[in-house]
Amino acid sequence: MTSDQSIDIPVSLSMSPYSGNFTEVEAGHLLRRTMFGATLQQIRDAVTNGLSATVSSLMSIPTLNPPLTYLPEEQIASFGQTWVNSVYPSGDSQPTENARRASIAAWLMENINNEGLSIAEKMCLFWQNHFAAEASFDSRATYNYFDLIRTYALGDFKQLIKEMTIDPNMLFFLNGVSNQSFSPNENYARELLELYTIGKGPQIGDGDYTNYKEQDVAAGAKILTGWTVEGMRSTSISSPSSSFNSLYHSATSKQLSSHFGDAVITNAGAQEYENYIDIIFQQPAVANFICTKLYRYFVNYDITQDVQDTVISQMASTLIANNYVIQPVLEELFQSDHFFDISVRGAIIKSPIEIIFSIFNTSFAKPEYDLSTNYEMYLTQYYYAGFIGQNYAAPPNVGGWPAYYQSPSYSKLWINSTFIKQRFSIAYYLTLHSGIEVNNNFLKVDALQLLSTFVSPSDPIALIDELCLLFFPKGASASEKLLLKNILTDNLPDFEWTLQYNEYMANQNDSSFSDPVKIRIESVLYQIFQMPEFQTI
Amino acid sequence: MKRRDFVKNLSLASIGTPFLLNDLKFQTISKPLFPIQKSAEDKVLVIIRLGGGNDGLSTLVPLESYDNLANHRSNIIIPENDLLSITNTLAFHPAMTGMRNMFNDGKLSIIQNVGYPEQNRSHFRSTDIWDKGLMEPNATTGWMGRNFDNSFPNFPEDYPNNSNPDPFAITMGSEVSATCQGLMGNFSHSVNDPFDTFNLSESTALNDGTYYGAHMEYLTTIIGQTNAYGSQVNDAANNGSTLSNKYDDNNPLAVQLRYVAQMISGGLQTKVYILNINGFDTHDSQVSSSDVKQGNHTDLLKTLSDAVEAFQDDLALLNLEQRVAGMTYSEFGRQIASNASLGTDHGDAAPLFMFGSCVGQLVAGSDPVIGNQIQNQEGLPMEIDFRDVYASVLKNWFQVAEDDIQPMFEHEVTYYQFLNGCTTGLKEDTLTNNSLMVYPNPAISSAKVRFESENEWTRVEIIDINGSLIDVIYEGNLTKGEHHIPMNVQNLANGQYIIKVNKRSGIETKNFIKAK
Repeated sequence: MTSDQSIDIPVSLSMSPYSGNFTEVEAGHLLRRTMFGATLQQIRDAVTNGLSATVSSLMSIPTLNPPLTYLPEEQIASFGQTWVNSVYPSGDSQPTENARRASIAAWLMENINNEGLSIAEKMCLFWQNHFAAEASFDSRATYNYFDLIRTYALGDFKQLIKEMTIDPNMLFFLNGVSNQSFSPNENYARELLELYTIGKGPQIGDGDYTNYKEQDVAAGAKILTGWTVEGMRSTSISSPSSSFNSLYHSATSKQLSSHFGDAVITNAGAQEYENYIDIIFQQPAVANFICTKLYRYFVNYDITQDVQDTVISQMASTLIANNYVIQPVLEELFQSDHFFDISVRGAIIKSPIEIIFSIFNTSFAKPEYDLSTNYEMYLTQYYYAGFIGQNYAAPPNVGGWPAYYQSPSYSKLWINSTFIKQRFSIAYYLTLHSGIEVNNNFLKVDALQLLSTFVSPSDPIALIDELCLLFFPKGASASEKLLLKNILTDNLPDFEWTLQYNEYMANQNDSSFSDPVKIRIESVLYQIFQMPEFQTI
Repeated sequence: MKRRDFVKNLSLASIGTPFLLNDLKFQTISKPLFPIQKSAEDKVLVIIRLGGGNDGLSTLVPLESYDNLANHRSNIIIPENDLLSITNTLAFHPAMTGMRNMFNDGKLSIIQNVGYPEQNRSHFRSTDIWDKGLMEPNATTGWMGRNFDNSFPNFPEDYPNNSNPDPFAITMGSEVSATCQGLMGNFSHSVNDPFDTFNLSESTALNDGTYYGAHMEYLTTIIGQTNAYGSQVNDAANNGSTLSNKYDDNNPLAVQLRYVAQMISGGLQTKVYILNINGFDTHDSQVSSSDVKQGNHTDLLKTLSDAVEAFQDDLALLNLEQRVAGMTYSEFGRQIASNASLGTDHGDAAPLFMFGSCVGQLVAGSDPVIGNQIQNQEGLPMEIDFRDVYASVLKNWFQVAEDDIQPMFEHEVTYYQFLNGCTTGLKEDTLTNNSLMVYPNPAISSAKVRFESENEWTRVEIIDINGSLIDVIYEGNLTKGEHHIPMNVQNLANGQYIIKVNKRSGIETKNFIKAK
């Protein structure tokens, strides 16, 4: 709530390679920004391997198995097999679709819960927020949309836009399928410019938004006419696909505005949209737009004129120099002096998905049961995130989640009286309470495994220091550490914890020794998860 | 009263149960118990946002243009004899029986063709403009936030306190409304369910002067306010009651309005309640393919109309009608012509509704005229500036002085005569000797200095708080009368300044804030 006027501006705006120390503090900053929940071991490995090698590892996008069938309502694909290329049953296909929806929601969370040392999942959420498409009524199209995002997670942005333009899920989401020559529907054409590529500048005239005009929206709608989708919810076609029908395509020449050099897009049938996107990408404003969004997502919401002129302008140059491939931009950013500047540490309030998985992933909470139980647990994770404001497959509107774009509050919008209460309830549920329960199996923080990764678990002071390093971007004050230590020791002298811990180590399989240790750690974690420090990265 | 049970649906049945281990004495519980003032006579405004851009031409049909309208939107137009006629020239959508009844009872007014100059057809930008009441692209405050800032300048620090124990505004749901964004914080408190109890672990985190520090302070403040405001809301909900049997439990807006009635009747002193109903972005399936009287838009209007009627019924039964008024808004109307997907695309002006027994039965603005030929993408032209609607609400309902209202806006405000049906003892506008005013104030890039002069030499200066002259924005002879001198403040450092007008007839000064 403080006025931003009082905030220190970044000390370093330099995009030249970072040359400072790379300790667990800096490694933690890098991994918290690029992953959802790094473990202590991953942070230590990053220090050992160094900044350059760690960034290089982060840039690998692992291939994934598609979502699997786990509910009996699925009538075509068999249990344990994927359904992404399976037809729908004749008759009532809704139960099968419902089963696939649950499967896809669980799979999205499974991917995050099992992320390795990779930026993949963070980038997938970035693009999901960017395109913000709702799931269509055919989960195979929804899956293909998520797969497209993943394929281009760090890849060619222009190519991603081209493929997204005729993606079946997108064609339904923004009414491309009903955009026909005799009655254009402007929905996609508008968002293509405003939200996906060039962005809207200040309104400088009637229907003129600096980077484009209403005229371009209308022309774009005509350019994009003629695309339809075949095979949605089909009982015979294994995967929906887009197709072009020249009968519905507007064959006239389309005149773009002065913002696109008064270009004329002539009839080119099924290739016409590509010609149009090529023209859009000739404008440097596209690079500036997407780099601004990347900066807000990975570094800081506040973009001062200096940041714009130095950091973002350098990112945009790198993007253009690399023909709109994203990866080199991020490699440069994550190894820059500016990224490690102390002024941007902890500058982002965690999104709900970051909150959820900074608990699960960092605390070794992954379901390792049978397929049905695991998927039900992942599905519950999905509901948890929705409960505090981020339903992964259903962004609140076509601009994505307001916390990523709404000035002046940005990530503060994740927090209000309702959501903070629910964040704390989830923290309680996953620490001192039973956790997620499915078929009498439980998923919650694994306090003892977490403890086993610490350097000096028997020393309460060192233990609290390590927890603060792991969970807080800028540590904690002496009084907060004392509070945490008093919870750990239950207000007894420090040596009582050491004795308890040593007894547990000597009797690890005896719950009368392990339970007291476990509940002390869980109590500390519950407090940590309620602290403002934990809400930031 | 039945509590919403959505948590259970998410298989998180016991997540809402607050729980403390007895041996964990780390929670600081400092919940001041303020007495609830049953006698509060203050006016309350309920704002309902129709998110997505409501199709005004299907909501309120101008009958004299019906035939032309039918030509331009033949696939979605509702047959004329199915419409609910309210005047000789206007008719409601058939789903709006509730609001039709209210109009006939003199409890619903209509303001037609509301918008702003050079309509922006982006949801986000236009929502921003409506929430903020400013066209300035870098504006950060909401119109209601600026109003609260004038009275409670140190918010959120020092709040709640003994004089102001309750939230100034409440947004129903899980988010806070941008209309209530003030300079330093958002004045609205989000309430999902007023029966929830709050006892959150408070924090001692400090602001170290960085972005991170600002977040620490924000989170610490929110946690403290959540406990304090949450307990006030909870007390009011438990003390309050609702009496109408017209609320439909399956109507989410009705459920939220019932909560609002419960809180008001329980003595909560909150002045503004904001509710959202989303889904008005009807690019497709605005009407059903089998029956134009059914479809998404029908469902939305029915939800709105039924909920508002039930709420008004409740207010009457609770004897609260004189205290509560409501208004709707939406970021834009839709284009005159429909599209091929049984929908309509983003347009321009649209009607706005006000409701309550103090509102009367008023139709302001002229009926839209639809020609037989229209331009591609044509929407309805703006007739009444929404910012003047806001200004009139502040003046007529909350009795804010005109001299305080004008600086909240960047255009010259015009006041309309509505929502003044229950006003007793309206404060006379205090005419001071000081005619000087700066608007908007705070300002980001440009502002105007308004003052009166004789036929005389005048010099207008910007002075900083140390008394140093920063700039002279006007120097020369002026004719007798009122002047509006533009002032570029783009390059001023953020902070407080004094605008000083030196005239032969006297010197006037006014504080001015340059914001980011």
